[in-house]
Amino acid sequence: MADVPEGIILKRNRDLDGREWHIWLRRVLMVFPFATLLVLALFNVFGQRPRTDTVTSGPASLKLYAPTHLRGGLLWQARFHIQAKQDVKDARLVLGPGWLEGMTLNTLEPSPISEASDNGKLALDLGHIRAGNEYLLFMQFQVNPTNVGHRTRTVALYDGDTRLLGIDQKVTVFP
Amino acid sequence: MDIVVRGTVLFFFVYLLMRVIGRRELSSLAPFDLFLLVVLGDAIQQGLTQDDYSVLGAILAVSTFAVLQLFVSYSAFKFPRLRPVLEGEPTVIVQDGKPIEKNLKRERMTVDEVLEEARLQQISSLDEIQWAVLEPSGNISFIEKK
Repeated sequence: MADVPEGIILKRNRDLDGREWHIWLRRVLMVFPFATLLVLALFNVFGQRPRTDTVTSGPASLKLYAPTHLRGGLLWQARFHIQAKQDVKDARLVLGPGWLEGMTLNTLEPSPISEASDNGKLALDLGHIRAGNEYLLFMQFQVNPTNVGHRTRTVALYDGDTRLLGIDQKVTVFP
Repeated sequence: MDIVVRGTVLFFFVYLLMRVIGRRELSSLAPFDLFLLVVLGDAIQQGLTQDDYSVLGAILAVSTFAVLQLFVSYSAFKFPRLRPVLEGEPTVIVQDGKPIEKNLKRERMTVDEVLEEARLQQISSLDEIQWAVLEPSGNISFIEKK
C-alpha cells in the first residue's frame, strides 16, 4: 500500500471507525430542530395566521379576526366586526393595554368619534349602531422587535356604561 | 443587549446548520449555492439587527459574531477532542484509484463530482489518484500516484 498521507488514520478516516453514529446524529439534527421548526411553522405555531373569535349577547355580537401568534417586526391587522341586533346607542369598544404594549398602532379605520382612557384601557367611541346594522373597525399594527413574550389582550363592547360582551385572548410574540 | 442575544442565538443556529448540512454544500460555489448564501445572509441580517440602523448596532452585531467565532476556533485549538465536533474530520473517498462508495454515499457525493474536482486539478482519471480526501473545509485534496 502507498504511503498514507500524514494526519490520516485509515481506521478513522477511511473505515470510519467510531464515526458511524455521526451520520445518524446529523440526520436526527436535521429532523430536530430544523425540519420540526418548518412543520411547526406550517401549522401556524409561530404566527401570523389570524383566527376568529366570536361572542354574542342579546343586543349585539362581536367578531374579532386577528392573529394571536406574532413575531418581532411583523405588520398585522385586527378586524372588529360588530353586528347590532338591537340599537346600541352609545357603542364603545374598550381595548385592554395588551393591544398596544410593545406594538406600534399604524392606523385605525374608520376613526372613532373619540378616544379616551377608561381606567387605563383605550376606549373608542363608535357612536350609534342601529339595530340590524354592522360596524367594521380595522386596526393596523406592527410588532416592536423588542416586544417578546405573552400578553393578554382584552376587548369589550359597551353601550354607554353597560358592558355587552367581551373577548379575552392570549397573545404570544416570538423573537 | 437584544442584538447580542439575537446574534448569539443566530450564530449557534447557523453553526449547527452548517455542520448538519455537510461540508460539500459549504465549499461548492455553483451559481445557485452562491445565491443561497446571499439569501441566507440577508435573512440572518434581518433577524439580527431588525429595525436598528445605528452604527453601534452594527458594531455590536459584528463584534458578537467575531467574538463567538474566536471562541469556537480557540476551543477547537485548545481542546483537540472538540475539533472533530466543531470542525469535522477528513474522510478518505478514493484509495488507489478506487472510489470508496460507502464514504461517498455518506457525504452525498457521486464519482462524477470527484472526477469534476479532479479535472480542476489537472487529473484526468481516477486511475491517477492514489488518495482523495474530503477535507473538513469541504475541499477535496488529491494525491496522485507516483
